Amino acid sequence: MALRIGIREGFRTITRNNSLFFLSLLVTSISLFLVSLFALVTVNLYHFLSILDEKIEIIAFMDESADSEALKSNILKINGVKDVIFVSSDQALKNLQEELKETEEVLMVFEDNPLPASLRIKLEAKSRTAKGLEEISSKIMLLRGIKETIYGGELVDQLKKITHVITVFDIGLLVIIIFSVIFVIFQTIKLTIFARSTEIEIMKLVGASNSFIAIPFTFEGIVQGILGGSIAFILTIITNRVAISFFSNVYFPQWWFLLGNLMCGFIFGIIGSSIALRKFLQ
Amino acid sequence: MITFENVTKVYQKDWVALQDITFFIEKGEFVFINGPTGAGKSTLLKLIYKEEEPTKGTIKVLDENLRFLKKKHIPRLRRKIGVIFQDFKLLQDRTLEENVAFSLEVTGTSPRDSRKKMMEILTYLRLSHKKFSYPYQLSGGEQQKVAIARALVRDPYILLADEPTGNLDVGSSQDIIDILLDINYKGTTVLMATHDLKLAKKVKKRMLRIENNKLFSDK
Repeated sequence: MALRIGIREGFRTITRNNSLFFLSLLVTSISLFLVSLFALVTVNLYHFLSILDEKIEIIAFMDESADSEALKSNILKINGVKDVIFVSSDQALKNLQEELKETEEVLMVFEDNPLPASLRIKLEAKSRTAKGLEEISSKIMLLRGIKETIYGGELVDQLKKITHVITVFDIGLLVIIIFSVIFVIFQTIKLTIFARSTEIEIMKLVGASNSFIAIPFTFEGIVQGILGGSIAFILTIITNRVAISFFSNVYFPQWWFLLGNLMCGFIFGIIGSSIALRKFLQ
Repeated sequence: MITFENVTKVYQKDWVALQDITFFIEKGEFVFINGPTGAGKSTLLKLIYKEEEPTKGTIKVLDENLRFLKKKHIPRLRRKIGVIFQDFKLLQDRTLEENVAFSLEVTGTSPRDSRKKMMEILTYLRLSHKKFSYPYQLSGGEQQKVAIARALVRDPYILLADEPTGNLDVGSSQDIIDILLDINYKGTTVLMATHDLKLAKKVKKRMLRIENNKLFSDK
């Protein structure tokens, strides 16, 4: 019965004190949207960095007479090698033509195909460092039939350093944003509860238990959090649409974002109202 | 029914609100707590419904030593005590009926019983025709009657009135006093705090006079 009355009281507050509720909802929505927006930038940053990391590879050029299949199986035996792809001389030319579509004439100067056949060597994550590349490359160079290898070398380490700095900066910023948002949401909930301190005082006066008093406020906090999370999610979808028109490839795992927004709203709502109420119920 | 034994209440910064107060109130009594503003009348009432804790001394209410009453059991005590104030403390966004029903709902009374009880009280206080009015649509006297209805609807053993006539004109004040006397006549112990010595003397009931935060007289 207390729960039923509590929920009814919560609804009553939402509908009767709607300007206060909507103000609080607005703050929650905007705050959660900020977190969501930052999360969108973060996941795309990580997505981009992981794609970049995947692209770290060694290209080994072969002698014309070399047996590609034998080389491939030998290279696959080297520790740290994930995959080996054979690129024939013809395929290499086709790829280059594809890349130089607009300046195709450049290739006209060659009568024959000048590109040698090669092997693209994909590496395991742990080997995608300057040291790893160097080690694997020197092992490949020992194989008969390999003319030359090329790889990023020092550039890879620089990329890793930049990635590390970006990651630390990003996590730091995320923590600051989350804490600011929690603070703003909690303070807003506190203000809405403070505005109804007379109601709480009367409830206490007529003998309402603390849990009875807490139910409508907690319910309101949950509704506010979930609604705020939903609005933040919708705003994130809109932002994603806009972002797609500028950057063709935006990574947006929408179900995770929906779940994250709703969960954050729910948790912030329930904890915020409980903390704010505690002061009045002591 | 209510016992104060050497009760002292000191607020922060050594501000003494009440000092060494001792009295005993029997069941069914009507007692005025009289004294100038700031004498400690409201504090005394707050100690009875455990809104405040005494710094020293013993308070017993309805055979319960409040020192040993756990926080979680305070609602149980308050359900046996009705309290009314000078500023009525009504919920402005609820009708008269809802304000009164609210008091019953928190104690888990069924809607049917609650409705029946409420109608009895509103009829007794001649307010039933205004049950759908909001507090701001009522006069001061009527608002105080609603506050009384909210306190009475749970059949309290004790009714505490903190300057209930402080905001009312002479006519409305007399109305409220008459109602409180009638409630007392029906068996409820009534404690009324007032700074109005003339009013307290006129009614000719027991009066605890507090001056300089001490019990000055009890007659």
